[in-house]
Amino acid sequence: MNARATKKRASLLLIAPAGLLIFFFLVLPYLTIVVMSFRVPGDGTPYAPGFTTGNYLHFFSDSFFLVQTFNTLMIGAVCTLVCLLLGFPVAWQLARGNSRWRGIAYGIVLSPLLVGIVIRSYGWTIILGNNGMINRTLISMGLVDRPVGLMYNTLGIVIALSHVFLPFMILPIMSAIQGIDPSLESAARSLGASRATIIRRIILPLSMPGIQAGCILTFVLSLSAYVTPALIGGSKVKTMAVTVVDTLVDTFQWPFGSALALMLAVTGAVIVVIFARLTRMKWKVA
Amino acid sequence: MTEVSIERLTMDYGVHLAVDGISLRIRNGEFISLLGPSGCGKTTTLKMIAGFEQATSGAIRFDGSDVMQVPAEKRDIGMVFQNYALFPHMTVAGNLAFGLEMRKLPKAEIQSRIAKVLEMVQLSSHAERYPIQLSGGQQQRVALARALVIEPKILLLDEPLANLDAKLREEMRVFIREIQRRVGITTVYVTHDQAEAMTMSDRVVVMFGGKIAQMGTPAEIYDQPASVEVAKFVGQVNLMRMTVDAVSADGSMDLSGPFGPIRVKAIAGAAPGRSVTVAVRPEAIDLVALGEGRPATIVSSYYSGSLMDYRVRLADGTLIDVQTFPRQRFADGDAVGLSVSADRWWPLEINA
Repeated sequence: MNARATKKRASLLLIAPAGLLIFFFLVLPYLTIVVMSFRVPGDGTPYAPGFTTGNYLHFFSDSFFLVQTFNTLMIGAVCTLVCLLLGFPVAWQLARGNSRWRGIAYGIVLSPLLVGIVIRSYGWTIILGNNGMINRTLISMGLVDRPVGLMYNTLGIVIALSHVFLPFMILPIMSAIQGIDPSLESAARSLGASRATIIRRIILPLSMPGIQAGCILTFVLSLSAYVTPALIGGSKVKTMAVTVVDTLVDTFQWPFGSALALMLAVTGAVIVVIFARLTRMKWKVA
Repeated sequence: MTEVSIERLTMDYGVHLAVDGISLRIRNGEFISLLGPSGCGKTTTLKMIAGFEQATSGAIRFDGSDVMQVPAEKRDIGMVFQNYALFPHMTVAGNLAFGLEMRKLPKAEIQSRIAKVLEMVQLSSHAERYPIQLSGGQQQRVALARALVIEPKILLLDEPLANLDAKLREEMRVFIREIQRRVGITTVYVTHDQAEAMTMSDRVVVMFGGKIAQMGTPAEIYDQPASVEVAKFVGQVNLMRMTVDAVSADGSMDLSGPFGPIRVKAIAGAAPGRSVTVAVRPEAIDLVALGEGRPATIVSSYYSGSLMDYRVRLADGTLIDVQTFPRQRFADGDAVGLSVSADRWWPLEINA
């Protein structure tokens, strides 16, 4: 056996554990879901024998699900935008700041990841509720008469999800900015660029790889989030992920729940692909 | 077309004094090199001229007007960085347009200026390429073009050839110098490479420890170094200790020693009996037949194509480097004579 084949076998062996894990716990379950989504709904059982496209027809003919899919995508998009706007300046500071507070700031940025998601979401119910911190403060200051609706609506979900996913936006952008040669800023200055121009024309486009990664992460995570929308949205506002679980667990409609789950995954994937195409960086390809 | 004057410029970082009160006048259109080892303050000086570093004290004037309070983006300087610092997300044309757009020039003028400069650096066909698609030498030329296209008052170059291979480096030396002459722009060039400084500059400023050790034409720096340090930094040199025999009224002194007796220019502190360090460059020494000149033995030889380097030993054991043309060949162990014409000796300092 030649050296090349040996090397190839060694690398196959190295990726084998992860490959097996992905196959048994991602590919197989996904295939199961695809198969399930074409099964006939059962009466008293999760599904009946035979196959049908009825579940998809049901999805496309019921505006309730179409609207909910759209709303879920919108929540994902708004969360992504909020995280980008809040995260970029922080990423910039973390990447380029040299103060001794940098370590502490880094810790604060990572802190949402250190607390379990259920606890974090309950925390937000305490803050956002009608009798919560924000409303009590607003009322005691006389700014509002009645509590402002922050829970059981889209706004609350966006606030809580943005908080949870902010680190996923900040970290990739930070590492992209760290990779930008500081002498580019000096060069731009020597050519007459102001600070604002440098950020707009040099830093922003060059941190695009990080922005792209951060946006995709945040968007995908927001779409698939379950615990936070379930707790903050309650029974009033539901995202697709919540509806999928309800359909599967509460009403026991496995085939239809599978179809819903797949439709969410597919629309999300299509949007990610379009976004990646639109933000493709010509200068990175030699 | 700008004259730059620097007065008692100091940069004190607290932990160390990077630039220690240097004064320097750069004439209109002059090409000046700041030459020195790393940490000598040459780059810091350049950054202060560019406006990237705020000097602790002193003054920098462009054509007589103080620019100390003028931020870098308003100083109107063209700078070439060691790593080129090209904007990777812009094409060559985009990189060149950047500075012109900052000056809000009309589109048509931007186009014509870019075309003109690209032709000058011989990259007209590469306008739409991205930096990553260019070779190191081409990137270097784009960096130079980007600095020149804005028609700045001063051109600053920070070790621009350090990342190129030896052959390309020599080509670029000539290239940069020719363009600088053609444009006639006042230029400050920072380098630690003495050959680069010598071949390119009108004047060389040798810096050590934040101070100017010597300032002069390349020939002055090489033939008449101001100190042992300068003599050693600029080219190869043989240093010899000799003894002062007599100091004459005409400003010369007679020395004796391993190579004496010789007559050189008298230096401060010279008195009969004092020991003095004298320099002689390896190529100033001729190898002649034994019997003519000082007797010596060839210790080793190094052939480099165009030149031949010998290390020879005098009768008293002193080792001396000699550089000749390879026409003259000696084998190790050969006995030869050494001859130095009187005007090639240069006295450096009186020894304690």
